[in-house]
Amino acid sequence: MHIHAYEKIWLAFAIVLILLLLGSVTYGAVGPGVAMVADSEGQIDATALDEDERFAEPRVEQVGENHYAAYVVAYQFGFEPDPIVVPANSRVTLHVTSRDVIHGFEVVGTNANTMVVPGEVSEITVEVGEPQEYGLLCNEYCGAGHHAMEGKLHVVPREEFESSDGGESA
Amino acid sequence: MSRTETAGAPVDDAGGDEEFDPVGTLALIAVYFAILVIAWVYIYYIEFLGRDLVVVG
Ligand SMILES: [Cu+2]
Repeated sequence: MHIHAYEKIWLAFAIVLILLLLGSVTYGAVGPGVAMVADSEGQIDATALDEDERFAEPRVEQVGENHYAAYVVAYQFGFEPDPIVVPANSRVTLHVTSRDVIHGFEVVGTNANTMVVPGEVSEITVEVGEPQEYGLLCNEYCGAGHHAMEGKLHVVPREEFESSDGGESA
Repeated sequence: MSRTETAGAPVDDAGGDEEFDPVGTLALIAVYFAILVIAWVYIYYIEFLGRDLVVVG
């Protein structure tokens, strides 16, 4: 079969594009450590969150040297706790679940974004930097009040976090 | 091969692949390739990785 020289060129272009695509995704995983929302968390009873030790009292607690866990419940129409208060320059693992329908959990303008499914726990870990206030919103249509479903993520100076009782109700 | 792109080809050439050089197509693909590469670099490295709170676990 005869292949025109030009055709060989654009075939090579296409292969380079594919390698570029795979290469950058690999780079993202190895370099900055980009990860996905895993399915490692077990299922829970969405109708009995008040009996679940993590979600009965939505809160932020320290789980490691500079590692904090936030247990967040999404509901029609809001997030608990609100605001979620975490200390600056730390690693935060967000465990988010729903007690009614499917919601979204998006820290506005950032990559922290996951679906929240009743009976499942969405777990994402992020590194927060300097003190800042982020908006939080639901990006899955969840009912009549969906458009008003929002919350806050407050990254506060460490001293302020320490004196605020883990962000229970700042 | 395309029969519509005959701008540079001799009129009497019916089946000669050899002299048929679709320079325009090649240029078009090159431009398209450049756009794709620039867009990809922008979307992945600047817009995605450049944002706050990259999910790391
Ligand atoms: Cu919602």
